[in-house]
Amino acid sequence: MRRFRTPGALLVLAMTVTMAMVPALGADKIPRLPSGKPDFSGIWQTTSPADYDLEPHAGRRDAPPGAGVVEGGTIPYLPDALAQRQHNFDRRAALDPRLKCWALGVPRNVYYPEPFQIFQRDRDLTLLHQFGHQVRTIYTNGSLHPQEQDQGFFLGDSRGRWEGDTLVVDVNDFIDETWLDRAGNFHSDKLHVVERWKYLDANTIEYRATLDDSEVYSRPWAITVNLFRNRDKNAQIIEDYCFTYEYDPFYPPRKE
Amino acid sequence: MNMRSRITTLAALVVAVVAQAPLAQAQAQQDDGGRIARETSYPLIAEGRWPGKRLRDGQPDVEGFYSNTIGNHGNWVKPGRAPSRVTDPADGQIPYQPWARAKQKDFAANFSNPTKPEYIEPLARCAPGGVPKSFVWHGFEIRQYPGYVVLLFDSGSRVIHLDGKPQLPDSVKLWNGGSRGHWEGNTLLVDVRNTNGKALLGRQGDFIGPNAVIAERYIFAPDGGRFNYVVTVTDPETFTRPWTSTIPVRRYTEQDKPDNWNYWVVAANLPGKPLVHEHVERICVENNGPFGGGAVGVPFDGPLILR
Repeated sequence: MRRFRTPGALLVLAMTVTMAMVPALGADKIPRLPSGKPDFSGIWQTTSPADYDLEPHAGRRDAPPGAGVVEGGTIPYLPDALAQRQHNFDRRAALDPRLKCWALGVPRNVYYPEPFQIFQRDRDLTLLHQFGHQVRTIYTNGSLHPQEQDQGFFLGDSRGRWEGDTLVVDVNDFIDETWLDRAGNFHSDKLHVVERWKYLDANTIEYRATLDDSEVYSRPWAITVNLFRNRDKNAQIIEDYCFTYEYDPFYPPRKE
Repeated sequence: MNMRSRITTLAALVVAVVAQAPLAQAQAQQDDGGRIARETSYPLIAEGRWPGKRLRDGQPDVEGFYSNTIGNHGNWVKPGRAPSRVTDPADGQIPYQPWARAKQKDFAANFSNPTKPEYIEPLARCAPGGVPKSFVWHGFEIRQYPGYVVLLFDSGSRVIHLDGKPQLPDSVKLWNGGSRGHWEGNTLLVDVRNTNGKALLGRQGDFIGPNAVIAERYIFAPDGGRFNYVVTVTDPETFTRPWTSTIPVRRYTEQDKPDNWNYWVVAANLPGKPLVHEHVERICVENNGPFGGGAVGVPFDGPLILR
């Protein structure tokens, strides 16, 4: 009882109440589909250095510094997996699948530092990522994961549902050939991701992803990054089929 | 099933890459055996009013799965199983400039036994099919949104802007180019620029130069069951005159049986609800090391990107 009488506690209480009201105020102004659901249509990108390293890190030759986006600071690797991560880190300049322009996986393609565009209908969301022009569909038509598992999708199988104004997406059935960032953080094909997409205001999405993988991590863990709407005048997704660059010079036929 | 789908892609690529007579023949027999009922002629569809459903932004609602009805993605002009895709000029031939015809013939002569990297079909290396080849490749999906029509092909995707955003400067070259469109009645008209000229029209070396102006018309039948894709290419560097091709396309619905080629979908897991077919994840380069990589002359010996 005593702590509620102190001015400091009252201030905290007042701030808590105020902060709790912010989403409610913002919720009136966010874009919505005719159905009333939040409309995430637009071009989005994070400003965080998450793709360089999800964990806190000082700057280094191949990465700007970052405070980290992992709740609790570090990823709870199992001992063997931690050794694998170190191996990946040491050889990251050669092993990162992004260098081959492979599909980045989920959630990496959400915080990769290139834009992606969301196209939204009541029954699904289509995410078009500039990098590699990869396409992911998040189904919101009430469908479940396929009965047939172990198909090994690069982007997983995404099934969404609404909790109020938050889009909750269950993503599973991954292949184990993608990484989580440029620092060698990784997962197995047992990865299970739960994404939570929520507007903070009309131009900002809070994106939270919980990752569970009993072969690699000792417990589930989560990241949070904000995504900002690209409002540049010329903003558009430009195809970037980067896997074609190696053979690009051989074409087209030229007049001699 | 995803793995099976990938294997199908690989099988197609084997034909694309190896193209030896026995394999090609087997593929043709399989094609004729029911995977697709090919049309040897098709109805014209008049441009005019759209009597059907509309989306909330007023666009004719043409969302769904489609595939061409004539097959024959190996070449663009050869009559036989399919009519020549070229509908103007009347001889069904592409009116190349002499230098461009020589290039086309050179590719055709070397395709089956490539001795240089440029004789390999880019599609076999997982490149996007490009404009207009994508419409005779596998089936595809149309999704529509206020301001956009999105085309999801088997190899690559296109966003058609209906939002008035200007084209990129000519110096920006892209496999699928830039697409700016608008609807007139039952017809979607699309201005395509900025193509890179690298996507071939088939395996005979037919191509469109990198400074072409491509005018597409997607003319939808009143019942929405099919459309004709009519494309006119203007490219004086490569051709002696503008020319036009027509690709007949039909819609696929839950009434149709998925065939992993024209209608490459799976049943969604919706217990107790009506059948809904859905698109399957498309990957290629990730699964294509021996084909898009080493076997066709692109050894992977270092990063493809430096960023």
